[in-house]
Amino acid sequence: MKEPILEIRGLNKRFGPTHANKNIDFTLYQGEIRGLIGENGSGKSTLISQIAGVYSPDSGEMRIRGEKYCPQSPLDAYKQKISMVLQELGVVGNLPVGVNVFLGRTGQFTKNGVVSLKALNRAVAEQFEKWELPMPPLNSLTGNMMIETRKIVELARALSVDPDIILLDEITQSLSLNNRRKLYELLQKLKSMGRSVIIITHDVEELIEITDTITVLRDGEVVGNVVSANTTPDEVKRMMVGRDISGDYYRADKKAQYDDEVVLSVKNLTVAGELEDISFDVHAGEILGFCGLSDSGIHSVAKAVFGLSRASGGSVYLAAKDLYIKNPMQALINNVGYVPKDRDSEALMVNASVRENFALPSLGELTGPLGFVSPKNMKKLASEMVSKLSVKCEDIFQPVSSLSGGNKQKINLGRWLAKDLKLLILDCPTRGVDVGVKAYIYSLMKEAKKNKIAILLISDELTEIIGMADRLIVMKDGRMTKTISRDGDFTEQAVIEVMI
Amino acid sequence: MKKRTLKFHDVVPFITFIVIFLFFTIASYNPRNGTFRMLTPLNLNTILDQTMLTIVVACGSLFVVAQGSIDLSVGVNLALSGVIATWVAHATGIPFLLIPVALLVGLLVGIFNGIIVSRFKVSSFMLTLAMLIGMRGLVNFIQTKTHTQRIPEELVFLNTPVVKALIFFAIVIIMAYVFEFTKTGRYSRAIGENETAAMFVGIPVKRIKLLAFALSGLMAGAGAVFSLITVGSTSQQMGVFLEIRVIMAIFLGGVLVTGGSSAKFYKIFLGSFSIQIIINGLALINRSDSHISQSVQGILLLLMLLVSVIAEKRSRRTRDLSDSDSANKRRAGFRRAGR
Amino acid sequence: MQKTLSVKKDEKRQNSALYLALFIAIIVFISFVVNIFTDGMFLEAKNLQVIFSNSVYPTFIAWGFCFLFACGYTDLSVGGVVVLGSFASCAFGNLFGYPGVILGGLIVGTLLIFIDFVIFAYTRIPSWIASISLALIYEAIAIFLRINKFTKPHVDTELSKSFNAIGQLPINLVLLIVGFIIVYFVYNRTSVGLNIRAIGGNKEVSRSLGINILNTLLSVGLICGLLIGTSSVIQQSYNLKTFSMSGLTSLQLIFKPLAIALLAQIMQKWINIIVAVPFCSLIIYGVFNIMTFFGVPSGTLQDVFLGAFVIAFGIGGQRGVKEVVK
Repeated sequence: MKEPILEIRGLNKRFGPTHANKNIDFTLYQGEIRGLIGENGSGKSTLISQIAGVYSPDSGEMRIRGEKYCPQSPLDAYKQKISMVLQELGVVGNLPVGVNVFLGRTGQFTKNGVVSLKALNRAVAEQFEKWELPMPPLNSLTGNMMIETRKIVELARALSVDPDIILLDEITQSLSLNNRRKLYELLQKLKSMGRSVIIITHDVEELIEITDTITVLRDGEVVGNVVSANTTPDEVKRMMVGRDISGDYYRADKKAQYDDEVVLSVKNLTVAGELEDISFDVHAGEILGFCGLSDSGIHSVAKAVFGLSRASGGSVYLAAKDLYIKNPMQALINNVGYVPKDRDSEALMVNASVRENFALPSLGELTGPLGFVSPKNMKKLASEMVSKLSVKCEDIFQPVSSLSGGNKQKINLGRWLAKDLKLLILDCPTRGVDVGVKAYIYSLMKEAKKNKIAILLISDELTEIIGMADRLIVMKDGRMTKTISRDGDFTEQAVIEVMI
Repeated sequence: MKKRTLKFHDVVPFITFIVIFLFFTIASYNPRNGTFRMLTPLNLNTILDQTMLTIVVACGSLFVVAQGSIDLSVGVNLALSGVIATWVAHATGIPFLLIPVALLVGLLVGIFNGIIVSRFKVSSFMLTLAMLIGMRGLVNFIQTKTHTQRIPEELVFLNTPVVKALIFFAIVIIMAYVFEFTKTGRYSRAIGENETAAMFVGIPVKRIKLLAFALSGLMAGAGAVFSLITVGSTSQQMGVFLEIRVIMAIFLGGVLVTGGSSAKFYKIFLGSFSIQIIINGLALINRSDSHISQSVQGILLLLMLLVSVIAEKRSRRTRDLSDSDSANKRRAGFRRAGR
Repeated sequence: MQKTLSVKKDEKRQNSALYLALFIAIIVFISFVVNIFTDGMFLEAKNLQVIFSNSVYPTFIAWGFCFLFACGYTDLSVGGVVVLGSFASCAFGNLFGYPGVILGGLIVGTLLIFIDFVIFAYTRIPSWIASISLALIYEAIAIFLRINKFTKPHVDTELSKSFNAIGQLPINLVLLIVGFIIVYFVYNRTSVGLNIRAIGGNKEVSRSLGINILNTLLSVGLICGLLIGTSSVIQQSYNLKTFSMSGLTSLQLIFKPLAIALLAQIMQKWINIIVAVPFCSLIIYGVFNIMTFFGVPSGTLQDVFLGAFVIAFGIGGQRGVKEVVK
């Protein structure tokens, strides 16, 4: 067997109550192509980010070539010949391709104080040729380029440091088919050079085909390692999903149940570059789930329905109120609620008090004669909701920033329940909250369902959708691929088949 | 966790006010007759007159600052409204036209600012600075044609403490009501707290932004009426430096540059008195040279901003400790980068 | 799915030289048209010389703004710095001759802008408002120096006429060309320049790629400082007199450069911003020169147009921006 190049022992990483990585042991060998797979939130990106130096682990040890390795930044990783293409990093849009590849290292092309763009571009071209990547025009700004091209630029940047280990986080999904092939060839080339690769992708078949070994993660733990040549997609999927879906916090019934009354009817909705031809009806008391990979357009559905994106075609008809939703103001006035995915940056006013946050969507209802919004009524609303949802806070004047993620999420969701809603759009409502709050949020959803509110549940957690939805729509590449009813083949396997 | 009733940036303005007040009162001691020049009725009256003007204009600007934007055009807007209104009053021979015209001109300028900021995404400071330069040019141009104009005789009677106080309190009460107790005020603060969140809840962000600038302009118009009545005529110096006095008043009162829930109506009273006492006090102790006054203001503004930044950092630190989803926050940070 | 952000615009950039030629052709054409309306006075050598000489020092300030825009900061105290730089240039010039003129302005200008950036970088106060307070302080210092009769009454603000060569042809042309070459290379072809643009584009990526944000910011201060310093020297030598300004009127000094830089920013899509600046500078000063021909009073109505230009160019530069703007 070859030499291990990277060894990880007992690695732990927490984000608040979320234990993102639990006692990870991981060994990467020279010349190995290793796949990392797991559901969303299983901790694979967290793991790779720690190797890349984006986060530092809470505990545990990393060793590279036998030596202790504790990177504080991606820069430290580069020094150890580890390079990366991560989702979070990117390119600098206002600089040309060539400069982006060698950014931070332009000094090596400097002669008499002037960076020779010729020499730099030559070196960049060499890299593209060496690794057989399609070369974009080197003097064009990356900001104007397609995501695929930008990813390739990032890849070239990662390769240009001549890495011993290269980390690739969900790169294949932004590549077109023939560039994917080029990437596969590239991986083989790296392997033959004795370099190691860690690659994350959601595509199980692809992963088995291109890797030597696969590490499966679930709930922050390593479930097992398999040799790609000896495994089947089914086995890997089983390992990924393997957790007991029991959790009595989901719905117990196995039947789709909802009224005939259509609350919202979306027809041929198209948003340029995000959604194409989306049509569905949602009924009173129905939970309609949307699932798909993170860039499949599920999150855009939420925004588009709430009137936040400019539709280039189609319509969003709120049948309950007999009108078309064109902007978020209409949605708010007409009893539609929206819980965005990114709690802190899209939903809450973190420096404002619990009271302000609770009252924000209800200010219209709280307004009396002469436009008077009575502080007393605001206080009443907030106090009622705080005790109803048992939000743990000192008092309603406490700033939201000092609350835990779960309590923040209770506010984010609960403030809509204070209104008389027709439709509630939930985008990843249980993201980053612990099990207790999660169960509570599900019970709130059940209650809302009982009160005949129509719910759009958008989530990248499959178990959640399968546990809660009456029907679910699977999306891929901005289109709807399949609609499954709770009465039918309502299993994770069935969904994953079409999702990827 | 202990109760957070007192916030850092809420306490500092009170302390600042007290320190400033005491300092200048003591410094203005006149050993010859044993009085404090600061506290003579005449001087207090001057301070009040000037402060009332600052407060009236700040009433409107507060909406803009609460949204995290800024309006640097209020001073010149005041001058423009004043000059045009006086001219119209004379030209038409209807003296009372002065008041509605001043308000209207101020309002129109404010609406223009609001449209550009909310529709075209030009940063508010850049826009209002350009307005500052451009409109000052316009004011000077008009002044070269009309020269200094006295206000119509019929309006002079308004320059009594009682009438002015009545107008002042009417304005302040209405504006305080709108800011503290209506949707407009609350939405303005929500926009300052988190504009994305405000949009995602369904708040008419563009309309509220427009409204804030319109109110700011309207109050500049009201300020023009106030200042004309007090001074009795238009002048080249009308509204000069007022924008700085107004933003200083707002920041000295403890409103953060980012606005949001740090914006409270009472703060403009505190801040307006503080800044006016500084200006007046410097004059009393024979330091009226504009360079001293101006550098004191510059340094104070920097200090207040520093406090503001520190206060924000502190609140962010508490957020860090409690945040469960720091991966999220981190991503948000990436997006914020480059601003 | 193809998440197209925007279509590639490579071809446009490749043809930069062509666009520049086209641009110059348009300027020349319009000049001739205007010339007809002004009875041939517009294109008289003397008038052209005035336009050019007037536009040199703002060009340097506008280049400074290019660096500020590139790293995402705003410095409104530049006007105050130019005034103080000019004072220094004048005071030292009258004492020590040309070395005094040059070094005085350069050192003071560089130092003050550098101080600005030290404040921006360390306190993290939003730069636009921090720079307003700095502008107040610099203006105050300027007033103080004048009132206090820095050397002898009134002498300090008026540079001896023998030192006016820097602001006149042909030296100002030489300075402009040399300045252009240096600025072009620093902005486009040095690690510092590239790093400055990188942090303006994406601070986090830049940091993770090993760019030292603090040092880069301070180097912006230095580069801008040198440009503003140079500008003060040329300004003083050209105008011989500088008046102290109070109550933020020093902002008036930077409005034409701001308009120039904003216009150049709009043209950036076709022409390199550093190349565009001198031409935009000529356009702006040309336009104001034409206004004077047509009797638009300077200082009043011309300022109205100036404000309108800044707003219009600002709107032009913001087209397509999606993020939250305060």
